[in-house]
Amino acid sequence: MLLVVLMLRCSLLMIERYIQAVNTESPGLEDPAATRERLKSRFPAGAARRMTQMGMLTGSVLGGLEPTGEDAVIYASEFGESRALESFLESFPNASPTMFQTSIHPSGVQQGLIGRQRSVPELFPFAGAGCIAGHALMAALLNPAKRVLFCGGDERGTWLREHGVASERTFAFALSLAVEDSPGAIGCLRVLPDDGAAEALTLISWFELLAQKNPFDGSLLPGLKLQLVWKKS
Amino acid sequence: MPRLADPNPIKVADCGCITPFGGAGATLAALLRGERALQPVPVGGIAGGDLVPLALLPGRDIDETALPSWGPAMKRLLAKHIGPQWGTAKRPVFFTSSNFGVGHLHAYGRTRDEKHLTFGSPYGCVDWLRRELGWGENFAIFSHACVSAHLGLVHASRVVSAGLADEALVVTFDFISPFVSGGFHALKILNADFPAPYMNRATGSIGLGDGAAYAVLKRDGDGFKILGQNLHNEMYHFTANQPDGLGFTACLAPLMEKTKGLRLWVKGHGTGTLDAGRMESTRMAEIFPSSPLTGWKGSLGHTLGSCGLVELAIAIEAIRAGRTPGTVGSSAPAFTPNVALEPFSNREFNAVLCASNAFGGAHAALLLAHD
Repeated sequence: MLLVVLMLRCSLLMIERYIQAVNTESPGLEDPAATRERLKSRFPAGAARRMTQMGMLTGSVLGGLEPTGEDAVIYASEFGESRALESFLESFPNASPTMFQTSIHPSGVQQGLIGRQRSVPELFPFAGAGCIAGHALMAALLNPAKRVLFCGGDERGTWLREHGVASERTFAFALSLAVEDSPGAIGCLRVLPDDGAAEALTLISWFELLAQKNPFDGSLLPGLKLQLVWKKS
Repeated sequence: MPRLADPNPIKVADCGCITPFGGAGATLAALLRGERALQPVPVGGIAGGDLVPLALLPGRDIDETALPSWGPAMKRLLAKHIGPQWGTAKRPVFFTSSNFGVGHLHAYGRTRDEKHLTFGSPYGCVDWLRRELGWGENFAIFSHACVSAHLGLVHASRVVSAGLADEALVVTFDFISPFVSGGFHALKILNADFPAPYMNRATGSIGLGDGAAYAVLKRDGDGFKILGQNLHNEMYHFTANQPDGLGFTACLAPLMEKTKGLRLWVKGHGTGTLDAGRMESTRMAEIFPSSPLTGWKGSLGHTLGSCGLVELAIAIEAIRAGRTPGTVGSSAPAFTPNVALEPFSNREFNAVLCASNAFGGAHAALLLAHD
């Protein structure tokens, strides 16, 4: 971390990280029960029964990267656990304790990690729209851990979606980032100074870049640009 | 008083909070007098229900209004930071909360007034607030239950330390609504009893409180030095800590080296629940046996995602005043002898450790120098 800080403060040239692996999920309009049936084998017996669709999807893509007790986890979701939030609100006046705890951000990523009993030193959960992808990426790139797992997504809501307070689309992503290049690396992220006009990289746009393995060279945050380069396989 | 040697720590250049007692100064004074802001309030607000201990800002009703009832308090808190200087490339804002405007979704369910929906998502709520304050669009939102504010401080420190920002503003706010009081009541940890943090009694109980705070972090100039920060996430259970208490140790251990030679006092999490309170005070007593442990949620209630920064602002005010409040609401017997039940002079100390915990076994700690 000290080296990263010194390099940045002395030169403000570039931050670079290597993508070791990417997992994505885009189940379309798949029903939560169908998602559970499809993915339950990826979780310990009994854990899947209580998991939400967001928890199953995030837990699945993140679990594929096999988190360890040394990894930092960055999690980004615009709306968080929308279905659980809807259920909790519907439970009043007899508030549901289960839906309350499940609705609390960042339950979507905690469900899988708790199910697997995977402690992590740092978990940074982001929420909201705007610059969320850019700030979450910077949290990943500035993190001192040797390996950083950046995951996120959203789940399609029901009645909250109709009011613009839940996502239209269900999706999840997870990628592992390393400081050093390696023969197995599949891509590279570079953040550089930029004086162009900032245009927010939305979370869904970031997801599409990963899912389609599309390159990117554009604005990340005010004053910073992002280059995403995929290695030819 | 020994000087603290650290090359270039991040500094808290400005800090403030608001609680039902007022700003940080008024809150400190009330805590030193042993006053309790918590009052019995129907858990469901206008819908009634059991009386539970809540600490609401004066004149603010638990049932949310549109425009938000907490808006004026946020404008008062941030009055000297209103304007376009924040939310820019070199002066980003990091918002943290565990509630945001979720009380408005509950209010929408009750009233069907669609004005509430504007504030119902984290982004909608924060974007409204930053526009009201005249800030730009370079802001991020963190939410990690009751360690949310600590995450904002850790990440803002990294951004400033890396030279990506000249200074950073961390803003946190949590205002109680029937959504959150109903949830904690359903979990059976918010009941009729007032909280008594770290007190060895038969039944545990928490209170909930309104709270908001901010901190400006810088590399250079005057300010309170952050000597270290650390995080740990047990991932053992959604609401309970792993029973051996090792999660507390895992968070504190990396800070041990930085505390060598320091005379510390500890501002703990101390909500009033029995198991977590016993584990916390026991681990603190093992690791920092000569450091008094105090907590203020017995008066202010648990300000949830904001507690880390609200209580840091009070701790800074206590350092300035030279006197630290005791664990208001508690009396002997405490779980461990390190628990400070009464106010004490902090002039013989040169650092404070501020710790918070959250659902999911999340732990956070911040070590702050007195000078």
